[in-house]
Amino acid sequence: MTDLHWLSATDIAKAYAARSLSPVELTTALLKRIDYLQPKLHAFIRLDAGAAMEAAKTAEAELASGRSRGPLHGIPVGIKDIIDVSGLPTTGHSKILVDNVAKQDAACVSQLRKAGAIILGKLSTHEFAIGGPSFDLPFPPARNPWNPRHHPGGSSSGSGAGVASGMFPLALGTDTGGSIRNPASVCGIVGLKPTYGLVSRRGVFPLAFTLDHVGPMTRTVADNALLLEALAGHDPKDPGSAATKTNNFSRGLDRGVRGLRVGFIRHFHEVDIPAHPDVTAALEDVERILEAEGALVETIKLPSLTEFAGINRVILCSEAWSIHAPWLRDRPGDYGALARRRLLPGAFMTAGEYIGAQRRRAELIAAVNDKLRDYDVLMCASSMDPASEIEDAVETARTYPRQARVPFNVTGHPALAMMSGLSGNGLPVSVQFAGRYFEDATVLRVAAAYEKVAGWHEKHPPI
Amino acid sequence: MDPTIAALAKAAGLDKALAQFPEDIEAAATQAMGHAGVVKYPTGPAAEPWPPMQAESAL
Repeated sequence: MTDLHWLSATDIAKAYAARSLSPVELTTALLKRIDYLQPKLHAFIRLDAGAAMEAAKTAEAELASGRSRGPLHGIPVGIKDIIDVSGLPTTGHSKILVDNVAKQDAACVSQLRKAGAIILGKLSTHEFAIGGPSFDLPFPPARNPWNPRHHPGGSSSGSGAGVASGMFPLALGTDTGGSIRNPASVCGIVGLKPTYGLVSRRGVFPLAFTLDHVGPMTRTVADNALLLEALAGHDPKDPGSAATKTNNFSRGLDRGVRGLRVGFIRHFHEVDIPAHPDVTAALEDVERILEAEGALVETIKLPSLTEFAGINRVILCSEAWSIHAPWLRDRPGDYGALARRRLLPGAFMTAGEYIGAQRRRAELIAAVNDKLRDYDVLMCASSMDPASEIEDAVETARTYPRQARVPFNVTGHPALAMMSGLSGNGLPVSVQFAGRYFEDATVLRVAAAYEKVAGWHEKHPPI
Repeated sequence: MDPTIAALAKAAGLDKALAQFPEDIEAAATQAMGHAGVVKYPTGPAAEPWPPMQAESAL
């Protein structure tokens, strides 16, 4: 059997069924891996090894007695530290909330427990999911397993670093301006921002109500679909939750792309924000593979990235200000410098600008929907560059906004980022696929077809 | 610092931040203008914001 820490959740479930592996055996191996890598990668803010082992023993007993709860039963999962896990602090990686112990699980964590998953602990994030890699916080920032001198992306940094390094096969992230897809892109894994409202946000510390999403981060597309199946569903206690019955994302993953129409938004990386040549070359390879597999790929045009980004920032800063204003007034020095600088602009946005951005947002949604009437899936860049060096604040500040993820936070369409190659300096580069509302399954299907041919999921960081 | 920015910061209750982190306040005001400046605001009066107001189902 391959190293246990590189097993996908899908393979683990098969091994459990065949009785060739047990939850206790796997959890013990992963805790050992975490013990070895945590000092290098800082993926965890808080590891709950005791509770994880107890959950593993429970899962083992249930599986041994034939009471399987499904494909996630006995599978370890890491949770981003803006998501509540009962009994553990939800710090948001911030001094502000360092003693904020959650009284109950977030809805998404409840869903995972119901599915029998093992909660390993809380993962590093950018402060309040907005700061950036910071060294002035109570916990160190996570680092990129492909090269720990580099940034693992954010804000779901620990989720990306932990999944990519084999600390755990599955993680939860959140995405308001790209925070699932950024670490997925630069850590070389699969990150899906589902359709807005598909996964409940109840129990997740908000950044911006109309932009926030919870989603799965995994090493394979099949695992991503499995995790989404456990998470998706209507939650009447989340006002943004959609009343949809869409919950089968694994079926049809292997249908391929023959006959699908793919709209390639080239101007995002060729004109709006010219990408690093390695990113561009990898995107061309993705196009060739999809065409060879039978998809029709055509170039399309949408409004500019600059405008999508501007709208995202006006809405994000305005909504975040409404949440953080009391602390920014009373405790500005308790924020790290990056989070404080990124949250304060909300104080200077006017009501007219916020409403104006929301009105323009409706037009941008219509523009994307128009394209999705003609195309099954859209394809574009995710990050325009490989990861910067984490201690190079200037380069990180330069590259961080060079991305094409915000359009799909503004519109709420499902969007997935995954590895599409390695840069000249051995760091992952990525591609992004987006789809129609509640057709997350089609996005996953295209990603699975690409993954099968490209095989990047079999390449692991040299750590 | 531009006195308008200082006045807006005070009006927002950011006196402490203004005293401790004046450079952050100044940068925030500039950023806010930059973000808002690139949005092509709709000119048609009937363009509604997203998400629209919706009544919940009856109690």
